[in-house]
Amino acid sequence: MTGPASATGLVVAGLTVVHPGARPALSEVSLTALHEVSLVAEPGEQLVVLGRSGAGKTTLLHALLGAGPREAGTVRVGGLDPYDPAQRLRVRRSTGLVLQGGDLVPRVRARTAALSGSSHLFGAAGWWALARGRVPAPLAPRLAQLAGEQGVEQLLDRPVAALSGGERQRVALVRALLGGPGLLLADEPTAGLDPASADAAVSALLAQRATLVVTTHDPLVAARFPRVVALRDGQVVHDGGALSAVQAEQLYARA
Amino acid sequence: MRGSRWGGTAALLVLLAWAVSGVDPGALGRLDVRGARALRGVLHPDLAPQFLREVLSYAAETLQMAVAGVALSCVLAVPLALLIAGSSRAPRPLRALARLLAGLLRGVPELVYALVLVAVVGLGPLAGTLALAVHGAGLLAKLWSEQLESVDGRAVEAVRLAGAGRPGVLLLGVLPQARPGLLSLLLYQLECNVRSATVLGVVGAGGLGQALELSLRLFQYARLGTLVIAVLLLVLGVDALSRRLRGRWGADVRSVPA
Repeated sequence: MTGPASATGLVVAGLTVVHPGARPALSEVSLTALHEVSLVAEPGEQLVVLGRSGAGKTTLLHALLGAGPREAGTVRVGGLDPYDPAQRLRVRRSTGLVLQGGDLVPRVRARTAALSGSSHLFGAAGWWALARGRVPAPLAPRLAQLAGEQGVEQLLDRPVAALSGGERQRVALVRALLGGPGLLLADEPTAGLDPASADAAVSALLAQRATLVVTTHDPLVAARFPRVVALRDGQVVHDGGALSAVQAEQLYARA
Repeated sequence: MRGSRWGGTAALLVLLAWAVSGVDPGALGRLDVRGARALRGVLHPDLAPQFLREVLSYAAETLQMAVAGVALSCVLAVPLALLIAGSSRAPRPLRALARLLAGLLRGVPELVYALVLVAVVGLGPLAGTLALAVHGAGLLAKLWSEQLESVDGRAVEAVRLAGAGRPGVLLLGVLPQARPGLLSLLLYQLECNVRSATVLGVVGAGGLGQALELSLRLFQYARLGTLVIAVLLLVLGVDALSRRLRGRWGADVRSVPA
């Protein structure tokens, strides 16, 4: 329960996802959220998935955790298959996830929110401690360390509803890192943040040792990553270094 | 458009006329000596200390029935609500069964339960308490399950995707969000129970209602007046208390994020 375990590698091969709610009345493009997406990330690699809204970024992150439907293809996270119900929880518990806007449960204190991704480590004594407003013993040192690193020690006693967007994002990062994940996923972590907070949020993500996959629709955020994977209408249209201005323009052009 | 509105108004008037004709309002004009005495008795309640003590114990019994009833309801309603709520992801047949059971429990009015239970377990507060418990369980199961389903799904999903099992998702994702609503419904059920417990007493299930029925039958209208006032005070008291508690428990609900 100390620092991150070794970083995890990723293999996505021929992944196709079709959303079940999509009706034939909609266009062919929007039926298919992901179309034969293949992607390999070495352990410790940091990559950003860039694309406009609806390009399939969130769907890709969900697929890495075995959430949502899958039409075809394989996903491996550190050699484990998240779509196998027997391995899914292991994948999710060794992965840290930061969702758009933090997505912390409102009406709890920031401390509880930060702990809410690690309930499998509580044990009966930990649940009892949480019920009395304390931190479950096995997680206390790491929570203190991470809260210090992210500068949220003073916020832990406050209700989530009283935190600003940037503060929530930091608490969400503490939550994601608490289990010592080998893979860190962040879905639009800068959405709704002011430029300074957004910058800090990305820096905090890049400072981690885990393999990092961040989605964004913001080319400025993408520019801070060594590797850019661009999605358009569910297909990978670019995988490599930073996008050129022309490429970026094409990515956002309306069909 | 205009024509249909007139048609609707006419239909409403016909419905009202039909309803009032069944009520026999003419009976008001036939108030006899007994009616007048009853009215005077109620306006001049019996305030003898000994009787007031008696009333107090009846009121306590009604309150006991209401509280014990809602407590028993909880025991039954918690598993039912958890099974019914979609967010618990219970197997479909189990869900349908729980929903059916809750529907059956709340489908029968408390008074009917009380009548049957008085015959089974005899006169007294036990029959009333059980009647309140059974009906209340069905009601709470439905209302609670709706409360559990109406929480912010994205926050719950975040907990689920972090690898939490069912208890973790429920305790850290769903319950913290639903808690003020659940408690509020519980208090509301308690308020309803106090009112219902009074009515149930009339069929012999203990408490103020039973005393009320007795004084009515013995033509002790002054005592009737005291008891009616006691019912009012009890109901108003519990309402006020529950409103205060609700305000306190739901306090953090109001601080909506910017």
